[in-house]
Amino acid sequence: MTWLAELRAAALVGTARHPAPSPPAELGARPPEVHTAEESLLDQAALADAVIRAARQPRRLDDAGLARPAPPDHCPQASGEAARLLDLLLTQPPVGPELRTLLVADWLRLAAASGVRVPHKLLPPLLAAAGTRASVAEHLHPAIGTRGRWLQGLLESDHGTSDSGAGHQQGAAARDWAELAGTDATAEVERLRRTDPAAARTLLGGHWDNLAARERAAHLATFTANLGPDDEELLERALDDKAKSVRDTAAALLDRLPDSARAARMADRLRPLLRLNGVLRKRLEIGLPPEPDAAALRDGVPAQPRSGEPDRLARLDTIIRGAPLDTWTSATGRGPAPAIALLKGETRVLEAIASTAARRADLEWVRALLEDRFEPRLLACLPAVEREERLVRQLRSSAAPPFALVEPLRDLPRPWGPALAAEVLEQITAKNGGQLAVMLAGILPAALPPEAAGQCRQLLERSDDDAARRRVLRDAVQYQSFRQSLTEAFS
Amino acid sequence: MCFMGRWSEDRVAGAAPDAASLAAARKLARPGPWSETGSNDVLVWGKCQGSGKTPYQVSVDLAAPAYRCSCPSRKFPCKHALALLLLWSRGEAADAGTEAADFAREWAEQRAGRATVRERRQSEQPADPAAQAKRLADRLALMDAGIADFSRWLADLVRTGMASARSQPYSWWDGVAARLVDAQLPGLAEQVRTMGSDIHARSDWTDHLLHRAGRWWALTKAWRIRDHLTPDELADLRVAVGWSVPASEVEGVEALPGPWLVLGDHRSDDGRLQQQRTWLRGPDGTVVVLLDFAARSEPLATPQLAGALLEATVARYPGSAPRRALFTGGVGTAGTARTLGGGSSIRQALDAESAAVASSPWRERHPVLLAGVRLSTGGSGWLRDEAGDALPLVDAPLDSLLALTGGHPVDIFGELEEGRLRPLSAVIGNAVVTP
Repeated sequence: MTWLAELRAAALVGTARHPAPSPPAELGARPPEVHTAEESLLDQAALADAVIRAARQPRRLDDAGLARPAPPDHCPQASGEAARLLDLLLTQPPVGPELRTLLVADWLRLAAASGVRVPHKLLPPLLAAAGTRASVAEHLHPAIGTRGRWLQGLLESDHGTSDSGAGHQQGAAARDWAELAGTDATAEVERLRRTDPAAARTLLGGHWDNLAARERAAHLATFTANLGPDDEELLERALDDKAKSVRDTAAALLDRLPDSARAARMADRLRPLLRLNGVLRKRLEIGLPPEPDAAALRDGVPAQPRSGEPDRLARLDTIIRGAPLDTWTSATGRGPAPAIALLKGETRVLEAIASTAARRADLEWVRALLEDRFEPRLLACLPAVEREERLVRQLRSSAAPPFALVEPLRDLPRPWGPALAAEVLEQITAKNGGQLAVMLAGILPAALPPEAAGQCRQLLERSDDDAARRRVLRDAVQYQSFRQSLTEAFS
Repeated sequence: MCFMGRWSEDRVAGAAPDAASLAAARKLARPGPWSETGSNDVLVWGKCQGSGKTPYQVSVDLAAPAYRCSCPSRKFPCKHALALLLLWSRGEAADAGTEAADFAREWAEQRAGRATVRERRQSEQPADPAAQAKRLADRLALMDAGIADFSRWLADLVRTGMASARSQPYSWWDGVAARLVDAQLPGLAEQVRTMGSDIHARSDWTDHLLHRAGRWWALTKAWRIRDHLTPDELADLRVAVGWSVPASEVEGVEALPGPWLVLGDHRSDDGRLQQQRTWLRGPDGTVVVLLDFAARSEPLATPQLAGALLEATVARYPGSAPRRALFTGGVGTAGTARTLGGGSSIRQALDAESAAVASSPWRERHPVLLAGVRLSTGGSGWLRDEAGDALPLVDAPLDSLLALTGGHPVDIFGELEEGRLRPLSAVIGNAVVTP
């Protein structure tokens, strides 16, 4: 045992039970002038303390453990007021967490537009904020610059997540993909489907026979993205699949393709069921479909149950959803709007038609249906400008309860136009508008255009007992004024 | 304004700095520990028996209000003052009518006449030298006794073993610290208190306590031979035991001209006390450190920005370099430095630390400026110089350092403490920045 180890052992149990060692001669300690074991031990402890502190050696570290230095940043760094505002937002935000997230994302967009980057010092708090807020994360590039990407890479590799850049995966996708586990494989098909639908189809088609039924169904379900006529062949093949889940998925996808062969077959099944009656041919009678034959069963029309009555209405639904919508116009000899008028009272049929129009985003039918019924799923098919106009009209007519409009309002691009902003402000400041205000709290600050800030300020000055509503308005005012400072800082 | 009525208990509670102080005061608000209590129109006073030998002297000026207590607490007002006020508000002690205790009256007079006293201090000679000598002798006697008591405690500590010390509750350490405070050795008391928590917080507690006990032991021996020490050695020893030199004795001694470059600063808060250390370097290379303290709830002096050049004159406290210093006048800014100058290698820095330990064994922190070091993020972080030597970091914001340096070699200023470096500033792209 070394002297230090003996010293430690003696000190730990006490000199009453363990004798103090003698100091090593090579340290040249003065001969002890002590009388007791305690004093000897304490003397040696003092010696050890001094010796260790006076003899510290550097450790050796080879440069393998060092991160490769960051390449230089060519973009200039944001300076002055812009840098100060980002620092403020990240380190001592003067606003609540939602507003802060909005404003940081705004800062990043403005920086990117002005061609400047985040100061290096602010990268760690920014990346931390991006870790919890997706809306910050998606605007990080290019504003964080080369240093930011470098730091992101280092922090990610520290946390064990591999760098999943798209570049290195594409070449090896087909080979590696077969080795991915279930949900990862689905995620990969989904990613590919969005960027290169044909490649996704080839990939899935190539592995089709080796996949379990559950995998075939899950992978195929991702084809909702970028679905097109080229997918029909694979979908027709899937209609013959052994597994019902795969057949159902394929049928649901083919429902979205009104020019497909299956749609034509469905039209052939629907047409004989529709008959115009009455003197003025103003009554549309709809018959129920017969028992499905083998071809109809293959197309997904529900089979005869083992016992009990068949659900003929469900069969009709399936046929309506599969057939092209122009089956209705040709059968009635009228355009979508009058055709819908003829169907007044046929709620179940109209519901099936509406869901078909929404799924296919058939704008002619969607617009006609919206005149009859105001449904968010229909509204969502329209271009943003038209959606906004219709929402303004809807709010003015107040036919629908405003809560039904929360989803469509959330989905609109921000900021809104002045007309919609005015209409929404009127609704939320109305007597019972507090709840609507709270439901819109997350989006309102960024949704209101800068021109609405003055109105919000005036509304705030009114006396109002509704604390939640006041907070929403105050947030809107704060956001606008901070946003104004940001714009000025970057101009 | 003249509001001298008896306070309500609520008003006393309102004066408490925090809930913990009030709770502690309520426990003390019973007649048991109190003696010589009294009150008049403006004052409430009393003595409270604490953990030490001498009772604490507590005085409260109701008009200001202002509080004074001889206990070492940094809470303001402390639990003793609050407890006394609670007793008085309930009418359980400190009834009016008695003549004010000497300590309370003296304090009140001091407060009343402070402005005039301050003015007078400039012109008048210091007070009676004989009385001063007597006070010094009394203090030294108290400290001698305290050091002797502490030596016995150290001997007991190693006789019974450090393992059994570790099983002691915190109050055991606190009791030792309280005795040291009573013996006017607050610097030692602070170290003992810190040990009371370190012994549980640190994985290397055995060596830490062993070495610290050795250092304390050496300190008690140095105290006994203090008459044979050089003035610098004695000054360092005084700092270690906590016998401070009043600022007024330092101010007039010298006025070293600037500009003073701010090398870096560090703030810490141990729960009782906030401390700010600011490292400065003068035009001739002299390095000094400014120390600012504030109670937990009070604001510290505004930090100086690393890299700033300060137009100020500085006076140094006695002791070995780098010495503590204070500004002797106003502080102006004279621009910003683009660099901190030439730094050393890690080996040179450790050699300098060795030399400093030899000349001033009580000093625990050494300022170092390292040249061209790169950051490695393993563990709590490392700095590596060009020669391949490495130094572990302590309290280092690694993400921030990484972001600022980009993994490139930079100059870093910091405090070397127990073989680890606490980085305080870095030179990056022609500017001194704080990580």
